[in-house]
Amino acid sequence: MTFTAPVLEYALLAPMLIVLGGAIVGVLIEAFARSSVRASAQLFVSVTAIVMALAQLVRVRNQGSTTPAMATLTFDGAGVLLQGTVLIIALLSIFLISDQDNFTAAAAAVPGSQEEREAHQARVRTTEVFPLTLFAVAGMMLFPVASDLITLFVALEVLSLPLYLMAGLSRYRRMASQEAALKYFLLGAFSSAFFLFGAAFLYGYSSSLTFAGIQAAVTGGAGNDVFLLIGIAFVSVGLLFKVGAFPFHAWSPDVYQGSPTAITAFMAAATKVAAFGAILRIFYVSFANAQWQWRPSLVVIAIVTMIFGSLVAIAQKDVKRMLAYSSIAHAGFLLAGVIALSKPGLDATIFYLLAYGIATVGAFAIVTLIRDSAGEVTDLNRWSGLGKRSPIVAGTFAFFLLAFAGIPMTSGFIGKFSIFSAAYQTGSLAILIAGVLSSAIAAFFYIRVIVLMFFKDPVEDGTSVVIPSALTTITISLSAVVTLVLGIFPAPVINFIQTTAIFLR
Amino acid sequence: MSSLVTLGLLPLLGAIVVAVLPSNNVLRIKQAALASTILTGIFGLYIATQFVANETALQFVQKNQWIPSFSINFSVGVDGLALVLIVMSVVLTPIVVLAGWNESEGGRWSAKVFYILILVLETMMIGVFAATDVFLFYVIFEAMLIPVYFLIGGYGTGERAAAAVKFLLYSLFGGLLMLASIIGIYVVSSNAGYASFDITELAELHTIMSPTTQNLLFLGFFIAFAIKAPLWPLHTWLPDAAKAGTPGTSVLLLGVLDKVGTFGMIRFCITIFPDASKTFTPVIIVLSVISILYGAFLAIGARDLKRLIAYTSISHFGFITMGIFAMTTQGHSGAALYMFNHGFSTAALFIVGGWMISRRGSSTIADFGGLQRVTPVMAWMFFIAGMSSLALPGLSSFVSEFLVLVGTYTRYPVAAIIATFGIVLAALYILIPVQRALHGPTTPGNENLPDLNLREKIAIAPVVAVIVAFGFYPSPLLNIINPAAAHVIESAGFTDPAPTEIAGK
Amino acid sequence: MNTSSTLVYLIALPLFGAATLLLGGRRTDKWGHLFATAMAAGSFGVGVYQLFEMLSRSTQERAVTQKLFSWIAVGEFNIDAALLLDQLSICFVLLITGVGTLIHIYSISYMAHDENRRRFFAYLNLFIAAMLLLVLGNSYLNLYVGWEGVGLASYLLIGFWNQKPAYATASKKAFVMNRIGDMGLSFAIMIAFATLGTTTFDGVAEHSHHASEAALTAIGIMLVIAAAGKSAQFPLQAWLGDAMAGPTPVSALIHAATMVTAGVYLIVRSNFIFEAAPTAQLVVVIVGAITLLFGALIGTAKDDIKKALAASTMSQIGYMILAAGLGPVGYVFAIMHLLTHGFFKASMFLGAGSVMHGMNDEVNMRKFGNLRKFMPITFITFGFGYLAIIGVPPFAGFYSKDGIIETAFNAGGFKGLLLGGITLLGAAITAFYMTRVMVLTFTSKARWDDDAHPHESPALMWIPIAILSIGSIASGFLFKQGDALANWLNPVFGEHGEHHEEHMFEPIVVSAMAMTAVIIGVTIALRKYQFAEVSKEAPENVSIFTRFARKDLGQDAFNEAVFMRPGQSLTTALVKTDKSVIDGAVSAIGRLAIASGSVLRKSQTGFARSYAAFILIGAIVLIAGIWVVTQ
Repeated sequence: MTFTAPVLEYALLAPMLIVLGGAIVGVLIEAFARSSVRASAQLFVSVTAIVMALAQLVRVRNQGSTTPAMATLTFDGAGVLLQGTVLIIALLSIFLISDQDNFTAAAAAVPGSQEEREAHQARVRTTEVFPLTLFAVAGMMLFPVASDLITLFVALEVLSLPLYLMAGLSRYRRMASQEAALKYFLLGAFSSAFFLFGAAFLYGYSSSLTFAGIQAAVTGGAGNDVFLLIGIAFVSVGLLFKVGAFPFHAWSPDVYQGSPTAITAFMAAATKVAAFGAILRIFYVSFANAQWQWRPSLVVIAIVTMIFGSLVAIAQKDVKRMLAYSSIAHAGFLLAGVIALSKPGLDATIFYLLAYGIATVGAFAIVTLIRDSAGEVTDLNRWSGLGKRSPIVAGTFAFFLLAFAGIPMTSGFIGKFSIFSAAYQTGSLAILIAGVLSSAIAAFFYIRVIVLMFFKDPVEDGTSVVIPSALTTITISLSAVVTLVLGIFPAPVINFIQTTAIFLR
Repeated sequence: MSSLVTLGLLPLLGAIVVAVLPSNNVLRIKQAALASTILTGIFGLYIATQFVANETALQFVQKNQWIPSFSINFSVGVDGLALVLIVMSVVLTPIVVLAGWNESEGGRWSAKVFYILILVLETMMIGVFAATDVFLFYVIFEAMLIPVYFLIGGYGTGERAAAAVKFLLYSLFGGLLMLASIIGIYVVSSNAGYASFDITELAELHTIMSPTTQNLLFLGFFIAFAIKAPLWPLHTWLPDAAKAGTPGTSVLLLGVLDKVGTFGMIRFCITIFPDASKTFTPVIIVLSVISILYGAFLAIGARDLKRLIAYTSISHFGFITMGIFAMTTQGHSGAALYMFNHGFSTAALFIVGGWMISRRGSSTIADFGGLQRVTPVMAWMFFIAGMSSLALPGLSSFVSEFLVLVGTYTRYPVAAIIATFGIVLAALYILIPVQRALHGPTTPGNENLPDLNLREKIAIAPVVAVIVAFGFYPSPLLNIINPAAAHVIESAGFTDPAPTEIAGK
Repeated sequence: MNTSSTLVYLIALPLFGAATLLLGGRRTDKWGHLFATAMAAGSFGVGVYQLFEMLSRSTQERAVTQKLFSWIAVGEFNIDAALLLDQLSICFVLLITGVGTLIHIYSISYMAHDENRRRFFAYLNLFIAAMLLLVLGNSYLNLYVGWEGVGLASYLLIGFWNQKPAYATASKKAFVMNRIGDMGLSFAIMIAFATLGTTTFDGVAEHSHHASEAALTAIGIMLVIAAAGKSAQFPLQAWLGDAMAGPTPVSALIHAATMVTAGVYLIVRSNFIFEAAPTAQLVVVIVGAITLLFGALIGTAKDDIKKALAASTMSQIGYMILAAGLGPVGYVFAIMHLLTHGFFKASMFLGAGSVMHGMNDEVNMRKFGNLRKFMPITFITFGFGYLAIIGVPPFAGFYSKDGIIETAFNAGGFKGLLLGGITLLGAAITAFYMTRVMVLTFTSKARWDDDAHPHESPALMWIPIAILSIGSIASGFLFKQGDALANWLNPVFGEHGEHHEEHMFEPIVVSAMAMTAVIIGVTIALRKYQFAEVSKEAPENVSIFTRFARKDLGQDAFNEAVFMRPGQSLTTALVKTDKSVIDGAVSAIGRLAIASGSVLRKSQTGFARSYAAFILIGAIVLIAGIWVVTQ
């Protein structure tokens, strides 16, 4: 047998490779650098890696190719946009993550053990979180450009495994954090199994693993439909799990709450981008012609997800859980974009991912600032009167909430408008109505928080707002500015997305 | 730049000036706020003089691309109706500032914030009436809620937070329905080949809309406006908000913001959906009549001065909507004039009522009594305001109320007849508080309430002047309003019923 | 039609007076009353000037108009602010400004000790202006402005001493009941515009020729409602008695001489409608007939001199309305009675005021008596008024009332007999209760409180009375002389000179019957009060009828039972509804959302196994879903 060396278009792979490289450098630093300089070195490396990746991405943004690495990847406009979004969010999150005391000193130690205490006294710092993040980022970049099921699966695992670990790193409430990590891991594995199973069925149906091949089979209509629908269903399960759509959402509240808030920010924002990127690609490219089979079910899922997320969010007393459920609701909105299955739908979804991702990072960044002696205060009742204590912080948080609620002059509004008009355009009135309804419900709890912060008097229980570190400040202010600008002058971004976002088949 | 835009920017500049002033120098802040509102008022009046009366086309038009990919434009312009309402707003705002000179004290936040909110709100008030792009209108329509929300919740009295939330939730709900309709319009128009939000272009849309679509979209808009206006049974937020808010806020809320509802009915409901308007007219007329009597009865039953005024407004808004949907030139011009007059008579009631309340330290009507002999001038002002509210001939509100009744009678005699009973109820709901508060023996605790000081006299004088002057000589207003009203009626495909008895002759 | 540029001054002068005094405030206290009086007098001067102008023109040329500006113009609805002065309105102009001026003069002294005298005069001027607008407006809408204007002035003046809660309530009652009438006027205007496309008197008159009777009847009946409200006619009469809360000059000017006769003016002015709408005309007659008896009966039981006079006013206006429902001849006598009544009733009210002035504001006639010795002038002038109202020749009332009775009979047939009978009965009762007033106040034995020191009023008060009583002596004769008033007014009714009609009885017979009725009434009253002890306190052991009459024949009880109480309970019910039902529904939705939220969150058990179960179930359902649509 002859072996043909794979042809690789390095320029297009470079962004991912850079990030992976950064990750490996990070590991080396962990191994050899003096602990005193590690943190700063790590930060430097990660930021440079991400920035360089971003720069490279910009350079190659217009060179599409279906075979940057044989048929395993497709590098196209949509891919560029999604990778870019991931990188931007990653950058913002890195700043948060570098605000180190969110993390335990000794992740492996038994909570409350002597060992842990010593580690803390020794001011040991968990710098391995940087390379872990970079690995995750690499996976997230791979996820939306993967164009065969195996690569997709690999990407899924590459992005998931670091996240499982990072979820367990919280410095405070160790038990909860570790529990979160374990849950996330178990359920993640469980859903990955579904994904793999579905992939197998799809192969059985189309005797091809590439999206193109599957598409061809679907269009041709050859093959056993039962295999196809089981395949679609199971692959969807794997992907919907990642975006936290009902009924595959159950992990997210616990994990969001348990993980270190910086990590929560990162995964809430970036994972959604990556996962929806993958969903968009596979549904738009491979399953498009089978839409009359899967669309109704997905419509139902989207609607239920919106309503469920919004309703349960009302009942939350913990800000991180509240944001978790709101992100479930937003997953529903985003699914509306997927279901639209049209160019406007694609553009809208990508814009929404960008807008929502950035606002999410900003919101969680603010959560990291509200603390007492025992770490972050996430109990909403203790947030009351925040507006009196520090109007700026409270005001910014309120602004992000308004963005989530989709109030005009925030990016959230433009996103909501574009995604629902796209959904309605391809004839799903139900989605539109459900969207309006759930938005109304959602407004209810976003406003509740605002009332709490501004119209209730502070509780004197040591809850205080720490002065954010410079980097966190950058993250918050950048997110806020972007959220505002995308709300008032979205035209440039929208135009760019419209002209760029295409799937090469 | 269209002088409209300049007008809209003036208060915003004022807000910026106020923002940079030191927050401890309250007097300077007040002066700055007053100065910029007066400047805006003068400029607004100047614009009014430049307006070409008998010209149905929009004037002072400006159109800039905003979000071209959704063919959303920043486009403004006014017809007679919009102009009159803008003039009303810019004249009322300085009066509110001057009358409520000390309202900003005792709030949750500094006086600075109060005046920034007021000034930003004024910009939005101008914008919302000037917007000729549905999307732009919606953005302002929603964004307006925020400053009002904080004005009520931050500077109001009593159950201010609850009232503010109630107001916000009601409005947001309506807003979301409207958003759904706007999306609908966008989709319908883009399916028709010309995606547009331009009010003049959308006026053609109804020719290609199916009745069902048209009715649904109409309802989306109408319900939003009926909440704003407010129309029975969507009114319950108003009394709470009016009671909780400062007098100044209530003036702007009832006098100006609620007009956005009735304005929207004319500008959007009837213009874009003439057929649906026809379909729903009977229902709306009935609701209006109910509002007229219901509001009147609740005003009679009210124990609290502010709630009483709020309920009288509900009754008056009933007249306005009835006039609008009577679809006769008299009804329409009457309604438009009514909006203007109601702005001033309600302003008078709230301003003077506010002075009475702040002097007495209570808004319960029973706590007053014999004021005519203690504070004659204040009593007179309240009496005149009341007379204007019960539409005494010779005062401006009579002209509008009678026009509405006559205009309605020619098409819906029964409705007009029932509505006319409102004038008897009006006599009751005004004279009862007049008797309780101004007449009778001076109740203990009121003996040495101070009468109006110079500042207050200056503030109320223009309002009374307007009420009296336009009662005797409404032509300046009617000349501006008539063409616009006639145009709407005509383009909606209606003509005034001819006199029945001399039809042939 | 001729135009005049000076009509507006009739209104402008008093309006300016009112504005000056109200805006000027305390600064004008010193001279305010004089200024106001001057304005009223000036207006009267203009009126006289207009009269001579008018006389200088031929019969058909007498009416003049003045267009001030276009008031309301929307589509076909065009209302000018324009005035119309014709033979009818000039009568009112002179009555209003003439009597008005006299009462201004009277009030200077009567209100001398009131700290708010300036405000009082401001209101008086305001009233004069509004009343003149009422009679000068050239369209129903302009009339409407004056119509509610006088309502406002009346409200302000009844409640002039509103620190007394009862007075404040009385003023409110008057305004509200007037508004019910105003509603009728609005309806009339709306119908007129919707059916005839105009609201000017000329326009309506012109179109009324080819308008359907139904439409005109509708307009007519609405006008009757309006008239009933303003002129205290059945069923809207209840406010007039309470209106006596106002200072006595007000009662004389507004609630006797002028405002309350506006209803008569309205009906006579709208003659073209009623001529073409017999049904409406019949309603007018019925209202008039009921009220003239209603008022008279109340009058018999009142001990409060002002309330007695008020009841009499109600009854006399009943006569006018009745007459106004009897066609052209009736119009003339309605107006004639209106004018004569303006004189004698005003003089009597002012007389009553002068009595109160002398008796420390006592109004209870049972505490008067024998005042003729102490107030000779008041006694004489009051006496002339008395003779006039009961209709003794040659005093004014005789001619006008006699005319009305005659016209009533001439309505012919049963209707004629019935109406004639009523008017005669009314005359008898009038004679009774007026004699009662006269006797109790002036001629019977003194029943004063100890602190009473009756004395004659100052010249400034009795001179106006004297002038008025000249009117109550001579006016009737003058009007009747050679049908002066009839010939003067007839052009307004499109009547030209002679009209021959059936006489049921010869005029002399009617007069005889009338006199008989009067004598009966007087005799009973004399026997009951002059030649019998009258107790200081109102006797309790009186006939059920008297009790009923003292209670104003239950008018208030009726209104309270039928309108007020149900209205109040409706209000309270609605207030509850608003809170519990409408607002409740909304907050219920909110609670529902919260509740369902907290139920659903139970699904979040925290156990990985149950989460996994979700995923499994979800996957299966998903397959099922896809399967279903695929099949």
